Amino acid sequence: MTLVLAHARAMTVELARHPAYVVPTLAFPAVFFLFFASSASGNGPAVRMATFTGFAAIGVAFFQFGVGIAVERGSPWEAYVRTLPAGVGVRLAARLLSAAVFAAAAAAVVVAVAVALTPVSLTGPRCLALAVALVGGVAPFALLGVAIGYWAPPRGALPIANLLYLVLSYAGGLWFRPQRLPPFVEHVSPLLPTRALADVLAAAAVGAGPPWRPWAALAAFAALFAIAAVWGYRRDEGRRYR
Amino acid sequence: MIAAELTAVTKRFGSVTALDRFTLVVREAEVLSLLGPNGAGKSTAIALLLGLRVPDSGAARLFGLDPRRTAARRSVGVAPQETAFPPTLRVAEVIEFVRCHYAWPLDASVLSERFGLERLLRRQLGGLSGGERRLVAVALAFAGRPRFVALDEPTAGLDGEARLRVWNAARAHVREGGTVLLTTHQLEEAEALAQRIVLLEAGAAVADGTVAEIKRAAGLTRVSFRAPPELILDGAVCDGERLRADVEHAGAFVGSLARRGVQLDELEVRPLTLEEALAARKAAR
Repeated sequence: MTLVLAHARAMTVELARHPAYVVPTLAFPAVFFLFFASSASGNGPAVRMATFTGFAAIGVAFFQFGVGIAVERGSPWEAYVRTLPAGVGVRLAARLLSAAVFAAAAAAVVVAVAVALTPVSLTGPRCLALAVALVGGVAPFALLGVAIGYWAPPRGALPIANLLYLVLSYAGGLWFRPQRLPPFVEHVSPLLPTRALADVLAAAAVGAGPPWRPWAALAAFAALFAIAAVWGYRRDEGRRYR
Repeated sequence: MIAAELTAVTKRFGSVTALDRFTLVVREAEVLSLLGPNGAGKSTAIALLLGLRVPDSGAARLFGLDPRRTAARRSVGVAPQETAFPPTLRVAEVIEFVRCHYAWPLDASVLSERFGLERLLRRQLGGLSGGERRLVAVALAFAGRPRFVALDEPTAGLDGEARLRVWNAARAHVREGGTVLLTTHQLEEAEALAQRIVLLEAGAAVADGTVAEIKRAAGLTRVSFRAPPELILDGAVCDGERLRADVEHAGAFVGSLARRGVQLDELEVRPLTLEEALAARKAAR
């Protein structure tokens, strides 16, 4: 456990000292929230705030896992860290912890902007429900990020992650109500993991009970992405340990 | 007690055979130097010993364990040939990060004193010079006070002072009962540090012994003197104003020259250095 904290601390400190990573990660979702969602009325702002915390958190999953792993995979520092007495689990748990810090921060910025600039009020229980939905709902995307990290070539990871991130966010309804999407997107939308995420977050925001169908979909996606991630890791290990 | 062991390992990369049924035994409390030209298989041998790669055939053992096991790596500190750090981390942070993996790490202040890192501790690694980064990388291998330290070309790119610090740290480590495996292509380094040398060429050991043994195996002594320009000797080489010859029996050689009436000005007779012995070895084959 001490080791996990040490690894997580090193990763977090390292990233936190890169303003080029920190500023966009924290500011981008909140700015998008203001562009797209702050003018909604009724339950609108609360729901948009919730889905934009999802947008913020999966961004971290895509970039810190996807791009981070792909880039570090071949780096001499990562090769050195492998010679230290720490198992693969330590490194992975640390990565998760470090990503959680940034995801929580990015989501918190969205919430702060929403509370300050839109007619959203947050009660304690709502906040808790949202946090739970966020943690559970983002987990499959963390696995998807890991899968991208091990499958994508280092130079290809950033465009791939960007494309998936923006397209999935848009088509899954994290930016607009799904009903406002163009008809052809609306057909695909219910099949996407981001749509399931939008649904569980929206339910949490309006105080509805947890909807079972999107949760089941998220669990299925988590299983799928976990297989892809483990497969990718094995494949990468096989390649390096030739 | 054996610290690390490769038993008849073969490792191929595509059509290139990096190691060919290579056996290496590193005993505790010695500095063993793997010596050889670029591409001889030195780094591959280290990678196999550390479990970073697995041999195609044969076995690697660290203190009797499979080196890929975390338990085995608790006894190991490594300075890989390639050095890269997360650029924004500070030197002190990276030292702390490495130390916390080990049960009885070296005191951070002792470590920075041994390697002269005191004035670098607060600096970020991305801002250090290549040589400074290299020195930090080598220091990290000792940070956990592991029983076995593997250094892959540790002093490449270091200045004289830093190189001396690395040598002294390796000696101190062995004095305290530790073991050091060192690859180098600098004979001077092997000669200064190693109790034992394994000479690697094209993936196979071609010599194994103490520095003295390897020199003795060459069986030659170097005789040189200031010679008149017209003098020509069989087997001798002109070296500026001097003539030199590597001979088996220096006494007889000098005697025969004296009997021929050759002026032996500034006569020098000495054993070969390791480098010269290895060059003579090569020439003889």
